[in-house]
Amino acid sequence: MVPTATSVESPGSTAVAVPLTTVPVGAVATLREVTDVDSRPVLRSLGLTDDCVLRLCQVGDPCIVQVKSTRIGLSNAVARCLYVVPEAGNR
Amino acid sequence: MIPAVETPDRAPSSPAAPVRRIALIGNPNTGKTTLFNALCGVRAKTSNFPGTTTSMRTGHAEAPGHVTLDVLDLPGVYDLDIDAPESRIAATLLEGARGPAPDAVVVIVDACNLARNLVLVGQLLARRVPMVVALNMVDLAERRGLSINAVKLEARLGVPVVPMVARTGRGMAALRQALDRVHLTAAGPGPEAPATAAGISHWADEQAAAVSSETPSTRAHDRFTERLDGVLTHPVFGLAAFIAIMGTLFWILFALATVPMDLIEATFAEVGTLVERLLPEGPVRDLVSKGIVGGIAGTVVFLPQICLLFFLITLLEDTGYLARAAFVMDRWLSRFGLPGHAFVPLLTSHACALPGIMSTRLIPDLRDRLTTILVAPFMSCSARLPVYVLLTTLLFADRPALAGLAFAGCYLLGALAALFTAKLFGSTILKGRAKPMILELPSYKTPSLRNALLTARDQGLSFLSTAGTVIVAICIVMWWLSAYPKVEAPPEAARLRAAAEAPALPNDEASALLAEAAALEVRTAQAGSFAGRIGHTLAPAFEPLGFDWQLTVGVLTSFLAREVFVSTMSVLAAGQEATDVDEGVVAKIRGMTRDDGRPVFTPATAASALVFFVLAMQCLPTLTVTRKETGALKYAALQLGYMSGLAYAAAFLLYQSLRAAGVA
Repeated sequence: MVPTATSVESPGSTAVAVPLTTVPVGAVATLREVTDVDSRPVLRSLGLTDDCVLRLCQVGDPCIVQVKSTRIGLSNAVARCLYVVPEAGNR
Repeated sequence: MIPAVETPDRAPSSPAAPVRRIALIGNPNTGKTTLFNALCGVRAKTSNFPGTTTSMRTGHAEAPGHVTLDVLDLPGVYDLDIDAPESRIAATLLEGARGPAPDAVVVIVDACNLARNLVLVGQLLARRVPMVVALNMVDLAERRGLSINAVKLEARLGVPVVPMVARTGRGMAALRQALDRVHLTAAGPGPEAPATAAGISHWADEQAAAVSSETPSTRAHDRFTERLDGVLTHPVFGLAAFIAIMGTLFWILFALATVPMDLIEATFAEVGTLVERLLPEGPVRDLVSKGIVGGIAGTVVFLPQICLLFFLITLLEDTGYLARAAFVMDRWLSRFGLPGHAFVPLLTSHACALPGIMSTRLIPDLRDRLTTILVAPFMSCSARLPVYVLLTTLLFADRPALAGLAFAGCYLLGALAALFTAKLFGSTILKGRAKPMILELPSYKTPSLRNALLTARDQGLSFLSTAGTVIVAICIVMWWLSAYPKVEAPPEAARLRAAAEAPALPNDEASALLAEAAALEVRTAQAGSFAGRIGHTLAPAFEPLGFDWQLTVGVLTSFLAREVFVSTMSVLAAGQEATDVDEGVVAKIRGMTRDDGRPVFTPATAASALVFFVLAMQCLPTLTVTRKETGALKYAALQLGYMSGLAYAAAFLLYQSLRAAGVA
């Protein structure tokens, strides 16, 4: 469920994925991994698929992200399990 | 290419058979219910999907050529392939595993979220389901500067696409005509849609990009929504907004529902009186006037609260606020194993547990929903109010401040019991924690009054058709237990009546004697009834709580509904029914004595009874609704057993502790 590491190697990339909760508000990032297996199907159905681009709109509980024009609220426990690679300039 | 998915048995009756049975499907928050209401109007009914507790609405709509369509409103789904109850229901229904498969589906697509909504369209195309795409909320998209070329989208998908605004009715005629164009032979025109989840997502992105004036950008800011979300989900401001909004909602509920409820009670009282005038005296008259009319009144009286609540909740849901409120409450409720969604049922249960339990349909997870249903009746409902008023007044006579504190304490005790129970059940019979919340935050919108009215009507009818009939039957049985067998009037009553007829007696004294005789007769009848006899039999079981046989009868008769306790006690005290707790009633009940001459209500007994009524499951209609909503008798039995056991144990501990401390 909650990851123990603070970052994970992004598959097929040299960039390091970091927990969504560590990214600054307003940052645009690419979703690399979801460590909470139970939440994956629901996240996927809402558009949070592998390699999707998202924007962090709000941190805290809830954490709010935007994927295209869909805004998604995530409880902090879930947000911590999303590993993203921020775009250059957002790190 | 379209993936190879087994197609259901959708054999056409002729090569170009017209559509007769359609299903509405779409992501949540796309206006699916609004479209259903626009299509079917009042010709709809709510029931459950066979074998599930997920509610289903069916109705009829007119199509061109005087064709009547059967319309089925499927639950909101994002994805047909994930392991979620709604997805399973929708998928199996489309496959024809729950009866005949629909001839075609109308997929409601949010024009503002085209790419994500097209994922579901892609999955349906892969299943070769004949369909019409209803491109809804194009007005909102236009206001955001987004235009979608519906003709181009129709060509790419190979199915009719109708731009529309279900809320205002724009595009409805075109949708009806499009339904006429969908024929069974039209299934699977063959657009390229890959089979994998990632592939369908990519395909949906491509379709959306090809037909939209601009690609919805993740980078685009909606400053109004972001600022409002910042406030409404804020730990402090969000909570303040929540209290203000919900406070207003429940104030409206209490203030407005009282009027029709009083009217219903008065009307049925008149009907009962009329029946008594028309029918000859006897058991049939009693059955009709008190049993049947009383039973129907006891059911219909809940309707205003249920309809008004669902009306207000639908309005709030339409605005997009409820998703934000769920996050605000999730911070608090998740500590006790309850989801954020539970706040609506729990708050509603303060008015009445029946609509509270019915509103758990908002909770997506089954475990979370069951937990909420089981603890909702702990919330102090309006039916407990007269009991609280009576017992706190008896407990703290001439000390209104303390009575007020005790009154507030009852509400607190009920809420704490609910949270404690949720935590306990979460670690025992309903193991698990509330699911972390993942919710789409829909756009803020102006709610639809028509939609709210139709939803309120549907929920009211659903209540009457499912729980209502059982509640009427229970009311009749409880009346019979309280009224039969008839017993002889005591000789003392006959003596009093004879004395009242003495010619020299002043009128007021004669009236007093007659009233005393009537009281004695009613008291004797109550004690001799089945309920009274059961009370006498069970009195030893309630003795450790400080209850005598009269209080035991009060507990038993109020099993039908808590407020009956006051009228039962007033009957036993004075032979006169009373539902309002005025000073006269309190004085008479305070003066009640046990068979050995000691008062029925000592401070210790009143405190014990108060705690008992806060915690006990004294409401048969609630148990009926629990049974209906959970789909299993065992949960109603658990609710009854657990709450009654907890109430008994708490009242026992309090009474014995007070006695040990020297409180009489």
